[in-house]
Amino acid sequence: MEKKEYDAVILGGGLAGLMAANIVASAGFSVAVVSKVFPTRSHSAAAEGGIAAYIKGNSDPNDDPDFMSYDEVKGGDYLVDQDAAELLSAKSGEIVHILDAWGAPFNRQPDGRIALRYFGGQTYPRTRFVADKTGMALLHTLFEHATGFKNIDFYNEYYVLDIVKEGKDVNGLVAMEMKTMDPIYLKSRALLIAAGGLGMLYKHTTNSYINTGDGYGIALRSGVALKDPEFVQFHPTGLYPSDILISEAARAEGAILKNNKGERFMARYAPHKFDLAPRDIVSRSMTIEIREGRGFEGGYLGLDLTHLGKEYIMERLSLAYDAAKTFSGVDATEEMIPVRPAQHYFMGGIDVDITGSNHDLNGIFAAGEAACVSVHGANRLGSNSLLETLVYGRETGDSMVNFLKSHKNVESNSNVDGIINTAYSYIKRESGEHFGTLLNELRDIMWENVGIFRDEKKLEEAVRKISDLRKRSVNMYVTDKSSNYNTEVFNAFETRNMLDVAFAISSAALNRKETRGAHYRDDYPKRDDDNWMKHTLAYLGDSEIKMSYKPVNFTRWKPEPRVY
Amino acid sequence: MEEKEITVNVKKYNEKDGVFWKSYRVKADRYTQMTEVLRRIKTEQDPALSYRASCHMAVCGSCSMKINGIPSLACKTMAFKVMDEKGEINLESMDYYTEVRDLIPDVDTFYDRMYKVMPRLYADEEVIEDKEEQRMLPEEQKEVWKFQGCIYCGLCVSACPSVKEDEKFLGPAAHAKGYRYIADDRDTKREERIDMLMDSAWRCTSCYMCYEVCPQDVQPVIAIKKTRSHLDDYRGPETDVITMARKHDNAILELINDTGKIKESSLYLKTFGFGEAIKDSINMLKSGKIKYAFTKDSDVKNIDEVKKIMGDKK
Repeated sequence: MEKKEYDAVILGGGLAGLMAANIVASAGFSVAVVSKVFPTRSHSAAAEGGIAAYIKGNSDPNDDPDFMSYDEVKGGDYLVDQDAAELLSAKSGEIVHILDAWGAPFNRQPDGRIALRYFGGQTYPRTRFVADKTGMALLHTLFEHATGFKNIDFYNEYYVLDIVKEGKDVNGLVAMEMKTMDPIYLKSRALLIAAGGLGMLYKHTTNSYINTGDGYGIALRSGVALKDPEFVQFHPTGLYPSDILISEAARAEGAILKNNKGERFMARYAPHKFDLAPRDIVSRSMTIEIREGRGFEGGYLGLDLTHLGKEYIMERLSLAYDAAKTFSGVDATEEMIPVRPAQHYFMGGIDVDITGSNHDLNGIFAAGEAACVSVHGANRLGSNSLLETLVYGRETGDSMVNFLKSHKNVESNSNVDGIINTAYSYIKRESGEHFGTLLNELRDIMWENVGIFRDEKKLEEAVRKISDLRKRSVNMYVTDKSSNYNTEVFNAFETRNMLDVAFAISSAALNRKETRGAHYRDDYPKRDDDNWMKHTLAYLGDSEIKMSYKPVNFTRWKPEPRVY
Repeated sequence: MEEKEITVNVKKYNEKDGVFWKSYRVKADRYTQMTEVLRRIKTEQDPALSYRASCHMAVCGSCSMKINGIPSLACKTMAFKVMDEKGEINLESMDYYTEVRDLIPDVDTFYDRMYKVMPRLYADEEVIEDKEEQRMLPEEQKEVWKFQGCIYCGLCVSACPSVKEDEKFLGPAAHAKGYRYIADDRDTKREERIDMLMDSAWRCTSCYMCYEVCPQDVQPVIAIKKTRSHLDDYRGPETDVITMARKHDNAILELINDTGKIKESSLYLKTFGFGEAIKDSINMLKSGKIKYAFTKDSDVKNIDEVKKIMGDKK
């Protein structure tokens, strides 16, 4: 088997991974970026609306970083680590400056400064954007910048199987080249998991097909905790019926949600912020409207842009216009866009501190949606995911550099063969469970039982069923025995990861007996700060999820009722 | 919603069996994207079918393939819009790239073309050191963003006749990327970029295939024409192509100055010379198109005004 050695291996070629790669490579260390897709195919490209940033001298005169941190803390229903939120706000301006210096073509004001607009949950407007393809523009900027480094090697279309470790020390990972199915051992002292989210766990999601929770799965199997996995975000405006994202930018620019009576129903649920209340609130309100018979036939609501005018829509919201036109046959300048909530983001993730370091293993880091730094708490605000990938991609890159300076090589690869043998067992087996069956069952269970509204009965059933699916998955097999782009095998690997993280999500959701942010329990409809103002830590045991807790870091904001 | 059963014929390929076609019957409705059709086939009928797909909203550029012979993104193609009267749709791997497996070609040659054009901004030192804020006018941002919209899908290169014939031509996507940085005032390497791109820019035949197939409306051929307009700033070696380009530019200027028009046959003679014109006349004779060489143009009426404007330009 081929073996290559690097100072740092980065799993994931999206914004967080590439930002860290740029930082670690700038410090002179060798870096391998491993991804199951070519980097520009990463889900970061799908981010639309923008990146929140307070830029001194180019923000609302009344705004300051404290307002921004406060918005994050309140938006996250006080499960936010406030030191992490403050760091996110404090470095937001710098990050936009760096991206601008690397060539990001942000929309501009007439005087040439970077433009800004409102987004959900913001006290003052601070979202910077590149039309409504901000993620794509930033991803290309970072990727192209990274290709300028001689000490970054890209392993594109390599699927990562598992982490190599010796005791508590991380020693790289084993991946498989998708084109040839050849395994490769990428050895490194530092390992960053920046493999993105897990939308494919849910039947309805705005996420890419590739978002299969791979980073969480391999972390759990290596004894690394997921923090707050019960918090899953559902975006209010998934296009009906394809679940393609219609950006929050649409509402930020003035679009209005309407029910089948033509009412602006958000006035009843969020009398101050209306359609721009945080996403968990809007998604729940929409679900209630649909449930109570005020939706349109098929189960959707209307997003009305028509009053904005054709020219404005075309310039600011061209992607939303194109998506509605292409995928639902609706001309948004004349009709309402049909929308319904769909899974969108995972607030939980690999447990890391404010430096991006995990402490279950030595040398393991996580950033972006794969990580849980706790800047989003129980609900993420729009424009903050791009910001987090970059600010914490950079912070984590710096931590990796410090780690590499002080840690020597560990020589060992005791579990490499085991990883490869397990992987090959799916191909060798001639019969058993097919991943497609398991996957379709899983996506239904997660949507029905671990979705927008939850209760004990639904969650108990989910945990039981997922536990059963995991048992069945031990005998997964694939029909395709060929050795070029055998995508069936990779789907089976993905299914294994999805089952592991689904087990953690449903177990933690059953465990948390309160309502907070995106975690809404019909049987416990109130926030319970006395018992639940704490982070969940979920470890994968032999046949159960082991739960422990961690305090929330407070700096200055005391919990208050969350009204919008 | 009304569903119909459609037939999807896929040109499959693997090392062992070579090329073969396989048909699938799938239920779809008017909102079903071709990526969803492929997902249904894979999860319900043929798990061994291999294709690339990621964002399903036309921003990641993964699912490039030929649909009924037309280079397309599968996600941006609705099944009902492309099926024929019998409800059939044909899927094939993109042209030009080497086949590896089913609908997955090896697109490394595409990426190599992109890497060749220094696809990154080289900002001023003052900016990098955070001593100065960059400004960019909204019009300039629009121009840059227009050509930055490329999603690396590779469709334009697969459709381009010039890349197949001329290995020195960088191809449409790389030119869009290259021009995007020429148009960006924040970049410090404009001269170097012009020198790097100019020879290749004049190897395009302006057939507009890239313009037709681009799913993002990037219009690479327009980027190529805009790059050509920097010919006077070119400082690289005088290649045959550059010599031809200069003759072409001068001929256009002369023709407009003298006649107020671009007279195609005269332009051709002045650009390529008599020898080349004879060769091509024979080709035109053979294909029955020689008559177009003798099409009589009407004269421009106020030629003095044209000369005045041209004089001002000079």
